[in-house]
Amino acid sequence: MALHTLTLDLAPAAPKTRIQARLHVGVTGSSDLEIMMHPEDLSGRVAVTVVTPVTGFDALWTRVLQKFLDDSGLCDARIEINDNNATPAVVLLRLQQALAAA
Amino acid sequence: MTHWTDLQPRSFLEASARDRAIGLVDEGSFTELAGPFDRVTSPHLALLGDAVAFDDGIVTGVGKIGRTPVFVISQEGRFIGGSVGEIGGAKMVTAIKLAIDFHDDLVAQFDDLDEEEKPLVVISFETGGVRLHEANAGLLAHAEVMDQLQKARGKVPVIALIGSKVGAFGGMGFVAAATDVIIMSEFGRLGLTGPEVIEQEMGKEEFDASDRALVYRTTGGRHKFIMGDANFLVENTVAAFRDQVSALAGLSIEAFEEMRRIGSSAKVKAQLRAVALAAEMQPGDATDVWTRAGNTDAHALIDLPLPEFLATVRRLAV
Repeated sequence: MALHTLTLDLAPAAPKTRIQARLHVGVTGSSDLEIMMHPEDLSGRVAVTVVTPVTGFDALWTRVLQKFLDDSGLCDARIEINDNNATPAVVLLRLQQALAAA
Repeated sequence: MTHWTDLQPRSFLEASARDRAIGLVDEGSFTELAGPFDRVTSPHLALLGDAVAFDDGIVTGVGKIGRTPVFVISQEGRFIGGSVGEIGGAKMVTAIKLAIDFHDDLVAQFDDLDEEEKPLVVISFETGGVRLHEANAGLLAHAEVMDQLQKARGKVPVIALIGSKVGAFGGMGFVAAATDVIIMSEFGRLGLTGPEVIEQEMGKEEFDASDRALVYRTTGGRHKFIMGDANFLVENTVAAFRDQVSALAGLSIEAFEEMRRIGSSAKVKAQLRAVALAAEMQPGDATDVWTRAGNTDAHALIDLPLPEFLATVRRLAV
């Protein structure tokens, strides 16, 4: 019954956005999540770790994160997420919020 | 990141624990300790397969208000109801311990310190108490916080702020009661057994937890202020809480001791007189006690704007 950890290695379709400093947004509330982002030289790629009680949605997580990267062009970053049953829309919103806070 | 000046007029009730912590101390002075980037998460929750938080739902750090070093603890109600487990409890304990050690070092080094230059601890409560997932570890954390409060007593003032959505209940209700000063907003709630638990144990006839007006006039800031359980009642803004803390900074430790509600034989006697009064009155509602305190139109106090409430209210004297 341990927590599910999903590790992804993704890249945006067109890399263009880099964050300058680490950041943290959100609270792991019910149906919500918190996100940390760190700048890291990953040759244009983005490393993602999602820690969540939910299983069976790995493909959906991958699609949402890939959409976020394609929309934003974020590259060379490490993203860490603590999730508590957030819906895909909330996940996308929080990712956009994190980038806006950068 | 919200700008400090934008945080000041913000609702304390709706602010996040981190925003409250940053806004309470001077602009740019807050340094978070054991923050989210340190990734100290609960090992118990992970074992149970429950979601974890990078800060375990408690923000701890240090800043200053004017010349006063302020150690801040701020609980986040949105993470498992602000429940206190092993990690969060350890963060609270360490923050208070750091304040005490810092005080002792300062006093040993400088013999001409103003009261204003000595550290304070501020705890913003938003919790129902023990995180049940962590059982004994959570309970032990409460005991250790209590232990630190006793060690701080007479040295480092500990100020409780209660203006959050969850309030301060359960074991942390005891902890709040054991601080030197309690500052509340009218939306803050303070108690031991929470409304839902009272209803569950004693029945809806005894206490209807879905009756929000009843809940607030029994556990809310206005009632606690009249009863003397809260020392100060302030507006629901980050700035109002900050201003009240700022007004207290620099008071002598004797003045803080005087503001305690419990902790001496005289205070115990006053509490016992309040218990005797309750037994004699058998109040059916909080407003019965408000009337007894000398408020002729007790019912009007419920909705009176706060400045008028503060100007006219009579507090219970026992």
